[in-house]
Amino acid sequence: MINIENLRLTIEGKEILNGIDMHLRPGDIYGLLGPNGAGKSTTIFALLGLRARESGRVSMLGGDPADDAVAIRRSVGVMPEKAGFYEWMTAPDYLKWYSRFYDSELTGRDQGTMLENVGLGKEAQRPIGTYSRGMKQRLAVARALMPRPKLLILDEPTNGLDPKGRREIHDLLVGFASNGKTGVLLCTHLLDDVDRLCNRIGIIDNGRTRLEGSIADLLTEQRGGQRYRLRLETRPDTGNLPAGMTVLGHEGSWWRVQVQVKPSEGPSSLWGELWGRGWKILEIRSEASSLEEVYISHTGQERHLAQEVA
Amino acid sequence: MMNTTWIIARKESAQMLRSQRGMVWLLTFSGLLSAFSLLLVSNTELSLLDNAQVVYMMAGTVMAAGALLAAILGSDAYAGEKERGTLVPLLCAPIAPNALLAAWGVMFMTCVPYLWAVGASGQNLGPALFYLALFGTPVVLGFGYLTMALSARTGSVMTSLLTTVTLLMLSASPLLIGPGLRGTVVGRALDAVNPFAGALNTFDSVIIDSEPFSVQTARLFLVAAWLGLCLLVARRSAGRPDFQ
Repeated sequence: MINIENLRLTIEGKEILNGIDMHLRPGDIYGLLGPNGAGKSTTIFALLGLRARESGRVSMLGGDPADDAVAIRRSVGVMPEKAGFYEWMTAPDYLKWYSRFYDSELTGRDQGTMLENVGLGKEAQRPIGTYSRGMKQRLAVARALMPRPKLLILDEPTNGLDPKGRREIHDLLVGFASNGKTGVLLCTHLLDDVDRLCNRIGIIDNGRTRLEGSIADLLTEQRGGQRYRLRLETRPDTGNLPAGMTVLGHEGSWWRVQVQVKPSEGPSSLWGELWGRGWKILEIRSEASSLEEVYISHTGQERHLAQEVA
Repeated sequence: MMNTTWIIARKESAQMLRSQRGMVWLLTFSGLLSAFSLLLVSNTELSLLDNAQVVYMMAGTVMAAGALLAAILGSDAYAGEKERGTLVPLLCAPIAPNALLAAWGVMFMTCVPYLWAVGASGQNLGPALFYLALFGTPVVLGFGYLTMALSARTGSVMTSLLTTVTLLMLSASPLLIGPGLRGTVVGRALDAVNPFAGALNTFDSVIIDSEPFSVQTARLFLVAAWLGLCLLVARRSAGRPDFQ
């Protein structure tokens, strides 16, 4: 549904994207991850034909956004990060008005169903200006789903939602992609959303794709490079480390290390080797969030963290 | 294209009628024309004016007010939407927005009764309405498109509006400086390139002097060129709006 190869894009002479790759197939819920300013939103705008690319290949739903942007947008539901509305309208009025761009005329029943699906009931009859942030987020999701799209593109869809609201939106997205013919591109910095929803991810940083693949495969690879926090009795000799081990930094007696071991072996033999080299280990804690590990190790956040700790 | 234009135009008119800001604009414009009409027909000195002169003055005022309204609407078209966060959802939909023509249509229909009221018993009301449509519309639309272009490029309502209003005041200066100064070299040079002055001179020519259409062709070319240029600039800018 989406194929991007080596996308490059400049805005006013500044290179914003310099090597984006993305592959989203029918049935995928694809998490696009990256720090603020990494180029996630610009990638979305390039996909929608709102930003002209410098080079690279972009295909969405079989068309090139540079040539067929309006036709492609007819089959795509988009929830941008800034989900603005005309505040004097009510939610049903707004959905009815917006649906006309897609050549459809929503009935009152359609409007009611769409709004109930995102958790907006009777209060939807009030002017949008009186809505809370969470209600506006729900309405933005309804707007994206309104054209019954083949592809959903959502930029931070659960921002401002309470846990119940987040779960409802998660269920909606899973239901949307479950028929195997539609796809979801989820742009977020909430790893919990990605953990629950996505089967594939792409991590971008500084306008470049650092990693792409299925979460299952990436986690399997990552298990060879787990992070631990070790509490030590004395300051260790960091100049003589076993193979496959890296010190990331320390804070007081706690030392952060990354170890590369085969999943079948585990790290226990390594702790023994460290003890033999004078590391008086009092306590070992695993930094367990595996997806977070994948993210941090590919976004340059690792360097920042190490500097802070050191 | 027409479908999406109509969808947006309906929203814009509904917004004007239902939002506080829109009502203020409409009431202000109505109040301005009402006061002007009342002044022209009731003031003991001004009421001695020939009806054709009154119609001419109304036509110029309506065009200036129309251009001002077009500038306000034009500045809101991109930058206002961006500031409210509603531009990106619009751009993400399959649309090509251009509601200005419809907005000017509403404006023109609004001014017709006023012209009728002050000029019904006088001469050349028909030509006044015809030439206001023929010359006033391109001038007003040009200002609207120019503001839309600035609005799209700068993403700022304040910048686009102030720039266009300044230009509008310069263009409308023939209304202020009077016929004496317009006869000078500077006045004549300004008239030659100023679409606003071109339209005003046409109103003068057809309403007061009853001159034929053939005399107006150079001025018609001027206002048409103005509209074409502004439309071109607007189309280029709208293709690369500042939306992020």
